[in-house]
Amino acid sequence: MGSVPLSKLFTLNTVAELICFLVALIFLYRDKSAAWRLLIVYLLLTFAAETTGLVIRKVFLSPNLPVYNTFVVVECFFTSYFFYTLFKPYGYSMKWLFGWLALFTVMYISELFYVQFADFVAVTASIMSIVFVLACMWFYYLKLTDERYEPLLQSAEFWWVSGALFFYFGSTACNIFFDYLKQNEVSTYNSSIRYIIFNVLNIILYSFWSFSSVCRYRQRKSFR
Amino acid sequence: MPISPKEIVSLIGLTSIVFLIAPIFLIRYVLLYNRKKKKHEEEKLAMVKTLETELLRTQMEVQEQTLKTIAYDLHDNIGQLLSLTTITLSSINLDDKVKTAEKIALVEDLTARSTKEVKALSRMLHSEELLSRGLFSAIEFELDWMKRSDRFTINFKKPKFESFTEDAGKETIMFRLFQEIINNIIQHSKATEIFVTLEQVESSLKLTIRDNGVGFDVDATLKRKTGMGLYNIKKRAAIINGTASIDSTRGAGSVITITVPY
Repeated sequence: MGSVPLSKLFTLNTVAELICFLVALIFLYRDKSAAWRLLIVYLLLTFAAETTGLVIRKVFLSPNLPVYNTFVVVECFFTSYFFYTLFKPYGYSMKWLFGWLALFTVMYISELFYVQFADFVAVTASIMSIVFVLACMWFYYLKLTDERYEPLLQSAEFWWVSGALFFYFGSTACNIFFDYLKQNEVSTYNSSIRYIIFNVLNIILYSFWSFSSVCRYRQRKSFR
Repeated sequence: MPISPKEIVSLIGLTSIVFLIAPIFLIRYVLLYNRKKKKHEEEKLAMVKTLETELLRTQMEVQEQTLKTIAYDLHDNIGQLLSLTTITLSSINLDDKVKTAEKIALVEDLTARSTKEVKALSRMLHSEELLSRGLFSAIEFELDWMKRSDRFTINFKKPKFESFTEDAGKETIMFRLFQEIINNIIQHSKATEIFVTLEQVESSLKLTIRDNGVGFDVDATLKRKTGMGLYNIKKRAAIINGTASIDSTRGAGSVITITVPY
């Protein structure tokens, strides 16, 4: 077991996650919606998973795959539930959510057994990303077809979805070529291209989500 | 030529950049469309406001018109009748019993006519109430009033139903349009005959007012300042989603048709 300075655990990703968690905690802890309050818990779990992954890799010098494989489930369940709450006002029933989560569970377990718990569930994660991209597009479509005008620049939901779209759409190429990059990138570049891309995507995602928390707070205050 | 792993990784990086740029445009389009939706909503709101303002103005004009008619009638009819009554009464010579009886009978007749006129005026005062009972009754009442002057022969053909819309504001504007057209005929046309037809054409109400007056040059009148009345008719018809067609030839009278969808 190696020792690692605490500063090494604070990467660009973890710092972005921590800031976003703190912003969400400040602005959302009194929110009436369960989904928005759950975002605080989700961001805390994200930060915890990322830090645990770093500790396992840098302190215990062991593969951190189990952490990320577990976190995918949390990510999928939370994001799907959040999308469901966004679509609920448009008359979408729970069966869509349960249907998708059932499909995801089957894919996830099948892939875990297929890779014999020794690899990341990349195919499931890729399909999940595509489903979330489609959900983002569908959200925009619903907003466009909605006859009522809504100031989108001040809409918490809009910024949350936009952040998710940037993240899941931007990571598509990396997800699809996950296996190839894992084998070839280190030998090609000094710094992993996957790491750079995910750093950029995370910063965009957490900036958008932080702003979304602020917008949600403003909405709550103005409706009082 | 085989592609090197470095090139493939670069390609993945480039694809990721493109995938990152695409949402920017998508979000921009959504925001642009949303801005257009806002503009459209503002325009709709402005239209509702215009309609409300125009309705208020129309209601005031209908009231004004009623008061004007009452003022004219008081002066021209009741005033004359009462003056005649006063003159007749003051000319009575109690010694001449035969003539006195004749004059008293005349005064009685004049008083009865005055009472009738006052009753008619009282009905006129309730013309707004009449409008609330239905557009067609209000038009009929207005035309009956005109018939009393004997200046015009009036032909009115109305449909069997009483009202054409639940929207009272729409009916008020329609009634005011009718009043404006009739006023124009009275003031400028020198007509002797007026034809008013109200009919249901598909899902629209068609009000046609025709006269046998001197007619006028429609285009020239619309261009002149004096054409404001005609311009108002077109504008008001458009406010209730209707159309106004004005057709006239010098010396051959004019036809104005207002078509309003239900």
